[in-house]
Amino acid sequence: MNKIDKNESAVVIIGSGAGGGTMAYELTKAGIPCVCLEAGSYIKPEDYTSDEWGAFMQMAWLDARGTSGSWRVNKDFPGLPAWLVKAVGGTTTHWAGATPRFMDYEFKTRTTYGNVDGANLLDWPVSLNEMEPYYDKAEKAIGSTHRHGRPPLPANNNYKVFANGAENVGYKFYATGPYGTNATPYDGRPGSIQDGFNFQGDKNSSKWSTAVREIPRALKTGLLDLRPNSHVIQITHDKDGKANSVLYVDENGDIQRQKAKVVCVAGNSIESPRLLLLSSSSMFPDGLANSSGQVGRNYMRHMTGSMYARFDKPVNMYRGETMAGFIADEVVNDPARGFVGGYYMETLALGPAFLGAFLDPGAWRADFSKMMDGYSNLAGMWLVGEDMPQSTNRVTLSDSIKDQYGMAAPNVHFDDHPNDVAMREYAYEKAEALYKSVGAVQTVRTPPYPSTHNLGTNRMSEKPEDGVVDKWGRAHDMKNLFISDGSVMTSGAAANPTLTITALAIRQGEYLANELKKGNL
Amino acid sequence: MNISRRGMLFGTSSVGALACLFGVTNVNAKMIIGSSANDRQTITKMIKTLYPHERFPDGPYQRTTDDVIGKGNADPAKTLMMRDGIADLRKASFDSLNFREATNYLKEIEGSAFFSHVRGTSVVTLYNDKEVWDLLGYEGASYEKGGYVNRGFNDLNWLPEPRITEHPDHANFFTATQNKLAELKQTNTNK
Repeated sequence: MNKIDKNESAVVIIGSGAGGGTMAYELTKAGIPCVCLEAGSYIKPEDYTSDEWGAFMQMAWLDARGTSGSWRVNKDFPGLPAWLVKAVGGTTTHWAGATPRFMDYEFKTRTTYGNVDGANLLDWPVSLNEMEPYYDKAEKAIGSTHRHGRPPLPANNNYKVFANGAENVGYKFYATGPYGTNATPYDGRPGSIQDGFNFQGDKNSSKWSTAVREIPRALKTGLLDLRPNSHVIQITHDKDGKANSVLYVDENGDIQRQKAKVVCVAGNSIESPRLLLLSSSSMFPDGLANSSGQVGRNYMRHMTGSMYARFDKPVNMYRGETMAGFIADEVVNDPARGFVGGYYMETLALGPAFLGAFLDPGAWRADFSKMMDGYSNLAGMWLVGEDMPQSTNRVTLSDSIKDQYGMAAPNVHFDDHPNDVAMREYAYEKAEALYKSVGAVQTVRTPPYPSTHNLGTNRMSEKPEDGVVDKWGRAHDMKNLFISDGSVMTSGAAANPTLTITALAIRQGEYLANELKKGNL
Repeated sequence: MNISRRGMLFGTSSVGALACLFGVTNVNAKMIIGSSANDRQTITKMIKTLYPHERFPDGPYQRTTDDVIGKGNADPAKTLMMRDGIADLRKASFDSLNFREATNYLKEIEGSAFFSHVRGTSVVTLYNDKEVWDLLGYEGASYEKGGYVNRGFNDLNWLPEPRITEHPDHANFFTATQNKLAELKQTNTNK
């Protein structure tokens, strides 16, 4: 592995997930040495555990966090706003594998939806047209099924119920993908053995993650200095307002300084704005890159909910790929439904351990036990749709909670927008109808739980006063500071975000490599 | 990451969380509440009322009871919470209530810290019990056995085999939304 001196002003990437891991590969591939600081350890496929609680305790980001607001997560899981991973590869270790693209209108929400009360809608400074070549590259990197000649995954039991229900209620756009897990060997990794565990990391490496693709390849270039167990606590700047170093806590608990000529922040939508806020200075009293006041605002987590249905015949939903089932028919903007934006329906399965915790938090008594008792006869789906960016949904520094280093913990405040509530209600009804059409005897509406899709807290904007970064993810206020994760999303779309985060990072990597080569940084 | 952190995260113990906040720990607390045969029986009955499963034998409920007692004595504040909670169950003659009466009583105390502790611990421990997994037909880890690819991942046979590829109109569906957007823009411009 490459060793970069701490006194050398380096390109420093913070985080190694879909955004940071992809940046590390794109830049080293282009011949640019990088330091990648990752807060978690390097957990490899042989270390993954096929046990829900075991894996959660092994890799989930469990640093102290606060929650507030009227969202149900604040009641059911206070202190755990999000279900993210602290490890090399970040949350690509945990992601299920769904890779739909954003729709064109989803890049233009202000234009398409008009003025929605309480929503801070803004068009992206990027269009689908500009993103298409990068979506192609990201799909090829990930190996998305149903794309670029990649074959579809076969139907598992949960999908059979889901797809038959879809057909019964008149949906057309259902399939087992696009999905970021190999159906057949591809890119040096094997086809799926349908082992039923991918939220826990895929021991078979059929699922794409930056821990199995981008990071090892970046290391192979000999240009990456990967430092796991390195938790960044501040970005410093010089008197001209340019970032000049990154302070992090190493595995021994000591503070280290890495000098930097460029900083790419990819810590996910809670940690990235937190880091900018923790980096406030006399020159930037409100935090770095925050002249707009938008850092930490417009936090989005998708309209989510799940539907579990009990049948009088066996399903065994836990066998096979967890989320290899999609219905896209509801991904349209049709305000006649009572809300703007759309949503996907996607298969979802949990084991008894997590189903107990998430099915209906706080519930007990016979109805709950009946569902659990019928575990082998359950089918499940996730409902994931666009939620409204709201200025008051916000990541701030907690006044009272500190992390293990004594730094102010992030607080995540969230209130559902009426549009989110209307969409969720509508989606639950559609999901119930779907399952009833194939004979469901009991259905349960599972409320949103700690989110894996966290978006929007450093949003992209054409004008500096509307957002934090420009169309390249470069801070409006600081020319050598880039944001390389899902926090740049101006709106959240219905689609699962990993493909778009990866595509944006490939595009940003290309841009940054050119800027560096031209000497513009 | 230890077990009590899990309890905190999942809201099973606000009292415990407070105790942690004030740095109170007493791992070797001499006073253990709930471990007498009588108390164990009462706690087990409470768990069976919360999560009744006729086909579950005593084993999983007993192990869950152990966990409720263990975590319920993780620090002195919790021990006191357990003491008061069990005393309340005694006052209500919980042991002699039938299932319906026991359920009604638990509904009354649903907001209490003791109830939250017993329910929150039970839902995690009971459904994470390997014997329960067997009873529910959950086979769990499969990687070492070659996954489920040859072990029933697609053995459901009471429904027709569905299509797995995308509908031929799917690509047009995406284009259609772009056309719709263009239309909309035109409308806005005309306005």
